[in-house]
Amino acid sequence: MRAALISAIILGLIAVIAGAVGVFYLVGGALGVIAQALFGAAYIGVAVANAHTLLLVLVMILASLLTLAERKWSALMQDRIGPNRARFAIPGLSKLDLAGLPHFLADGIKMLTKEDFVPDAASKGLFTLAPMLAFAPVFLLFAVVPIAPVVTAADIPGIAGLAGSLGVSAAFPVSLHVIPNLEIGLLYVFAFASLAVYGTALAGWSSNNRFATLGSIRAASQMIAYEVALGLSLVGTMMIFGSLKLEDMTAGQSAGLFGGALPAWGIFLQPIGFLLFFVASMAETKRAPFDAPEGESEIIGYFVEYSGMRFGMFMISEFVEIVVLSGVTVAIFFGGFHLPLPPSWGAEAWLASQFGSFGLAVVLGLAFVLKVILLCWVQLAIRWTLPRFRYDQIQSLGWKILLPIGLGNVFVTGVLLLLDESMDWLAIAGLAQLIFVIGLTALYPSKKPTTIRHSGRAASAQPAMPHGH
Amino acid sequence: MAHDSHHETELAETTANLSWYQKLYVPEVLRGLAVTTRHFLGNLFGNRDESTDVLYRKGSLGNQVATIQYPEERMPYPEGYRGLHRLVPRDDGKPRCVACYMCATVCPAQCIYIEASEYSDDPIEKYPTSFVIDQLRCIVCGLCVEACPKDAIRMDTYVHTPPEYSREGFVYPIERLLKGPAISYPSDPWVKREDSKQPEHQHFPLHDLAKHSTAPVAQNEPLPQGENHPPQPVFAESDFQK
Repeated sequence: MRAALISAIILGLIAVIAGAVGVFYLVGGALGVIAQALFGAAYIGVAVANAHTLLLVLVMILASLLTLAERKWSALMQDRIGPNRARFAIPGLSKLDLAGLPHFLADGIKMLTKEDFVPDAASKGLFTLAPMLAFAPVFLLFAVVPIAPVVTAADIPGIAGLAGSLGVSAAFPVSLHVIPNLEIGLLYVFAFASLAVYGTALAGWSSNNRFATLGSIRAASQMIAYEVALGLSLVGTMMIFGSLKLEDMTAGQSAGLFGGALPAWGIFLQPIGFLLFFVASMAETKRAPFDAPEGESEIIGYFVEYSGMRFGMFMISEFVEIVVLSGVTVAIFFGGFHLPLPPSWGAEAWLASQFGSFGLAVVLGLAFVLKVILLCWVQLAIRWTLPRFRYDQIQSLGWKILLPIGLGNVFVTGVLLLLDESMDWLAIAGLAQLIFVIGLTALYPSKKPTTIRHSGRAASAQPAMPHGH
Repeated sequence: MAHDSHHETELAETTANLSWYQKLYVPEVLRGLAVTTRHFLGNLFGNRDESTDVLYRKGSLGNQVATIQYPEERMPYPEGYRGLHRLVPRDDGKPRCVACYMCATVCPAQCIYIEASEYSDDPIEKYPTSFVIDQLRCIVCGLCVEACPKDAIRMDTYVHTPPEYSREGFVYPIERLLKGPAISYPSDPWVKREDSKQPEHQHFPLHDLAKHSTAPVAQNEPLPQGENHPPQPVFAESDFQK
């Protein structure tokens, strides 16, 4: 009963996302045609449309829904129900909890109407600037992530007619990608990701509060420490795909390994690189298990003096970071918008022949968004599974473990690439690592917590066996 | 330097008990994620067990949600739970209370206020013209029930004090306290009177049974509840609201 209902809701949401991807293409094509007619440059219109549909609609809606999802999903992981008491005061709707959806609207209203408090001793200018500096860089990161492939505008239904009525050509490319063809690609990601540290550092410093300062110092040192590992973790993928551009990496992952039996995804070629990148960027998002800068049980964190929507900016930037991290990870390690099927099956060519290039693009865009949502879920699951690391553990993990492994990974990847251009050796090494970890996880006998040690003696001592025997 | 070395040994001790497998950390994280995922999927797709009678609830498909949706779902109170007071009525609908002040005297919180009077046509017993319990002062100790010689006040409602908008609302007058079915005993003076319409034996049908039985109590058949010993009435919070 409930299983069928939940499955139906999930299928409905997938249909909504597919429709949204189609609408994004339509808006991009339409604005492109208008820009073509006005300025003679369609790419301006497409970029403006993408900046709005992808950043303001897709990322912001995903991020604000994640604020609800975090509470609802964590409740399910902990055998609770989660928030369900906010209701719409409309007859017919007031009896339904709507999966807690009214809570996220109520949260927005609460944030916006709360007192906007600025401490007397705070540095007013920096105090105002800090939430913006924390929010803007992570928000901009998504601009380089390619969400769906390039389509000729004429292939989008209705656009050719619109272009004809305006008397312009509809031969320009449309893709769901805010800044296509950005050569620096990943460097842009690193540059803006490292800017986020200013927001947190300034927030703590300008609050003129000891706890906030402590939190911001923790945040700054943690984020700077992990940037090194973050950069090193992706060097392997840069070498493999020979580019810094995320769309080149996505295109490279549509190739096949072992003659097309396995998609050439980054996770198969660079499992260690993936692990390093995921850990390092989770540390960059300052979420559990790396949430020592917030540390709500010891210091309240760098935003302790913030209230209302200023605090909301810090909170929403955390969730935007989750979405962005998922997007970048999908683009680099999980095949971008390509379907999770072996390339030898030719699924994408079949889709293109059946539904045209626009239909294929919508399916691929849907695949990308679903992968992003799945990775968001993985991040939340990690956050609700692991306890917080101690501060010295965070630093030693970053410097003593991730950094040497990252260096070793670069070296091994280089050697394997030199030995074999077709990347099959690299894939064998990667698959061996994955199988080792998964096999160890599944097969290693788990230690059951049956014996309680009351003294220093080993817990495995035989019971009922006298020592003098 | 000494401090540093001490710190190092402390850390070494905390990691000394870990096996090489645990030191790898990643497999253990994956196992932890498997546990989280199992709970997530079961609780997402399974039906919740809505029975509040059990503590360890199991729904379908491994749903283990333990939440009780409070005002709609309630855990049953245990036997003997001291709930909201009630005054027990007698057959004619008046309270059994004879205004003896025993409860008001024993009450450690002094939350019972009684004004006594006499029936104009009946000089035998008194009755309360006013019997007020301040539920905000009451500490729910149950001493008033112990003290009462007439079984006139009970705390067997299994209802706790419902919320009110004002302090005055928590001061319960006699109209809000007089609840439940009528109860009479052979020893009641209003029953012993000659003009009583109800003969003595009718009021305590268990009397003879108890007198003549010599078997251990546990072996007896469950005693039939007499007409004047009605089963435990069931109350709701709304019964006590103004």
